[in-house]
Amino acid sequence: MASMMSTAGRDTAISAIEEYFDNGTFREDLARRVAIRTESPEPDKRPELYRYLEEELTPYLSDFGFDCVIHENPRPDGGPFLVATRTEDPSLPTVMTYGHGDVVRGYDDQWQEGLSPWNMTEENGRWYGRGTADNKAQHTINLAAIKAVLEQRGHLGFNVVALIETGEECGSPGLKEFCAQNKDLFKADVFIASDGPRLRPEQPTIFMGSRGVFNFTMTLELRGGGHHSGNWGGLLANPGIIMAHALATITDARGKLLIEEWRPQPMTNSVRLAISKLKIDGGENSPDIDEDWGEPGLTSEEKVFGSNTFEVRSFVTGNPRNPVNAIPPKAVAHGHIRYVAGTDPMTFLPSLRKHLDAQGFNQIELEAERDYMNATRLDPDHPWAQFSIKSIEKTTDQEVAVLPNLGGTLPNDVFAEVLELPTIWVPHSYAGCSQHAPNEHVLPEICRQGLQMMTGLWWDLGSGDTPKS
Amino acid sequence: MTSRQDAIADALMWFDDDAGYFETLKQRVAVETESQEASQLPELYRYLEDFIRPDFEAMGYHVKVYDNPFEGQGPVLLATRIEDPSLPTILGYGHGDAVRGQADKWTKGEGPWVLSRDGDKVYGRGTADNKAQHTTHMGAIKSVLATRGKLGFNSKFMVETGEENGSKGLKELVAAHKDAFMADAYFASDGPRVNIAKPNLTLGNRGCLNFDLEIVARDGGHHSGNWGGLLANPGIMLAHAISTITDANGKIQVDGWSPGPMSNSVREALNGVNRDGGADAPTIDENWGEPGLTSAEKVYAWNSFEVLSFVTGNPSNPVNAIPPRARANCQLRFVVGTDHENIRSNLRKHLDANGFDMIEIVDPPAGNDAVFLAARTPPEHPWAEWMCTSVTRTTGEIPVMIPNSGGSICNDVFQDVLGIPFVWMPLSYTGCSQHAPDEHILWSLTREGMELVTGVYWDLGEEGTAWRP
Repeated sequence: MASMMSTAGRDTAISAIEEYFDNGTFREDLARRVAIRTESPEPDKRPELYRYLEEELTPYLSDFGFDCVIHENPRPDGGPFLVATRTEDPSLPTVMTYGHGDVVRGYDDQWQEGLSPWNMTEENGRWYGRGTADNKAQHTINLAAIKAVLEQRGHLGFNVVALIETGEECGSPGLKEFCAQNKDLFKADVFIASDGPRLRPEQPTIFMGSRGVFNFTMTLELRGGGHHSGNWGGLLANPGIIMAHALATITDARGKLLIEEWRPQPMTNSVRLAISKLKIDGGENSPDIDEDWGEPGLTSEEKVFGSNTFEVRSFVTGNPRNPVNAIPPKAVAHGHIRYVAGTDPMTFLPSLRKHLDAQGFNQIELEAERDYMNATRLDPDHPWAQFSIKSIEKTTDQEVAVLPNLGGTLPNDVFAEVLELPTIWVPHSYAGCSQHAPNEHVLPEICRQGLQMMTGLWWDLGSGDTPKS
Repeated sequence: MTSRQDAIADALMWFDDDAGYFETLKQRVAVETESQEASQLPELYRYLEDFIRPDFEAMGYHVKVYDNPFEGQGPVLLATRIEDPSLPTILGYGHGDAVRGQADKWTKGEGPWVLSRDGDKVYGRGTADNKAQHTTHMGAIKSVLATRGKLGFNSKFMVETGEENGSKGLKELVAAHKDAFMADAYFASDGPRVNIAKPNLTLGNRGCLNFDLEIVARDGGHHSGNWGGLLANPGIMLAHAISTITDANGKIQVDGWSPGPMSNSVREALNGVNRDGGADAPTIDENWGEPGLTSAEKVYAWNSFEVLSFVTGNPSNPVNAIPPRARANCQLRFVVGTDHENIRSNLRKHLDANGFDMIEIVDPPAGNDAVFLAARTPPEHPWAEWMCTSVTRTTGEIPVMIPNSGGSICNDVFQDVLGIPFVWMPLSYTGCSQHAPDEHILWSLTREGMELVTGVYWDLGEEGTAWRP
């Protein structure tokens, strides 16, 4: 009888959240949040980061019983944190959740005609706006779902601590220190949050970790200024040519990594098995996959979820806007490595240095750009993973895609390694969302299903039948 | 010989008078004759009409300013002084245009458009290239006229305004008015000396062909976490392609891009030629370029390839995305003997053979699409030998003869259209930052040039030394 009642309550809560979406309130909440220009890479937008936490999220969360405290970042370059807690009973399970209020730069002038990063607009059934996918819709969904459970049940049946940071797009400066210094604030049984894309637009997905990312700069400055290519061509080394040669030794011409230390450990059988069940589909408008790119012999899914990749993010020499007939003095390349758990990021620069020196490129200077985010993974059989999968399958009646880790990168090492929590991510976006590029958008149908799934998941968390820590 | 010295003394008196040479050059540098900027076309006309025309007319020349046959390209001035049709006619040349000012990058003087003296250096855009050089010629002619009362030869002098943009239309214009421009021999100044300490004569030029290499892989950037390993990175591919065009030390590796074996006369002319660019000249990279050649041979007798600019991604604000495109602005400088008609098609074959058929070879930006052909007057030509003798009369030392300059200029107009022998006497030095910020001349070197050029014009009209074709 009790379980009958709880199922009825669960269904009612889900109906309530459907109404929240269908009556336009979710869209309004999201549009209001997108309109706040929380571009963390722009130092002058710092007040907007505070505004997002103080004027948007604090009143919203306080309204349904959260204690909200804004903490300064321990690092001067980092944005503020919001820690929102709702403790019903210390004997109940506690879930930590997370989101980030900041976004990458708007690049306003590069958006399609009629679209703007800061004015959320519907076109072709998509909701366009900077930060829609990354991460404002995602935490908006999760917080609204908590509210729906509370309103239906009268209490949650679990405790929550929510951490909203504002520096994720800058590499989450200070997040690790802040969590390490405040471990008692974040004592929890499980971490459940949302960011990143689903495996396929229509398939509910969870992942339990992420690839790490290591950004670095390669600089070759040969002399103070440019020199006339007629008078000096043939006599002065051209840094653009040398940098091109150096880059050409890092991968082959089809992207296969050539630096032995950068290559991943072989996949374990359980990871290989989990990945074998996955099928990447970025949805319509997603780019065509170049089958012959990257590590030969791997499936597309193994390349993204089980391997390491190197990208040239940018490379410049000379003056590309107005080229002149001069040998440029300098070339700069920004590269990065995405890597899976088991690869030690501390070895990246020393091994690149050794590699470049061996090839005669000792004049190229290397510098790490910011703190790396480490790669993490949780076993797909972990009780909290199984609990989450079951809950989502119950809500959606669909098979959940289970990724050992995301291809992208999240500051999950903070939660998995510093706070030592089992980490479950339930993404509400999709790979074709143009995250980090112009025309970022979310698909409303995924948002709606995300609201249902999260309401079900929070409901189940408070039903008393959770894994024991 | 007293009169020769009088003419030189007169020229130097004008040179040393602040109201003379310096003031004249100051006014000329102040005209922002950036031929790569279409909006500066009126300045090109103003330079010829307000600064060059009056000075030639004051010396009894008939002056005509021709519109360029190509839309939007700069005019060409021709000044003609025929004293006696039976005397030989000497054609002179200068260019009134300059490369872009790049005002924000200057660190010396008072910016590109204000002539400014600092010790022996006189800074200003277009000083070295080419305003000081034709100002010297005009001053020398004036002193010979003042001293002798006539030139003693017929003089034509053309000043074009499109050299830095490839002298577009010049060849067509001269061909259409061949009689007006026709002469028996050609003498002018541009570019740097090989060795700052010694005058040299230059008998030709390297050709120059610019082109862009481009990959447009897809429309927009894609998140490197979600797509890294699946999408070919155009920056990596273009770097690889460039690494096949030359080796890591700049040796050209494209079949059909070699000038063929160096002739003995060229090798002999260059034997013992040492480059000395002066105190601020860049250090030559001995290991760069074609192995086994001397520095002089690399620049004056061989081809060189440059990456003038390269861009992929957003270098000023790199994001964690796979960039959609990459583009490099490239250049081949080539000497006589190179299969110049097939430079692009031979590169196409090379790229295809190396698996880079996705790379397009496209026209360079209109502001930097100059095409010059290689040209050369044989070192044993009587006009070259006569010039050599005249310089020796002034300096007491036989000057070095350089088969061709490293840089490129419109010699094909004289070689192919007019069919006359041409000799250049460069008056600048290789450390002059021509085409870069902080362009300057050396005052002492320019003063020496004043003597040398005046000596040549004197000798041309003097019984006993005059040249007869």
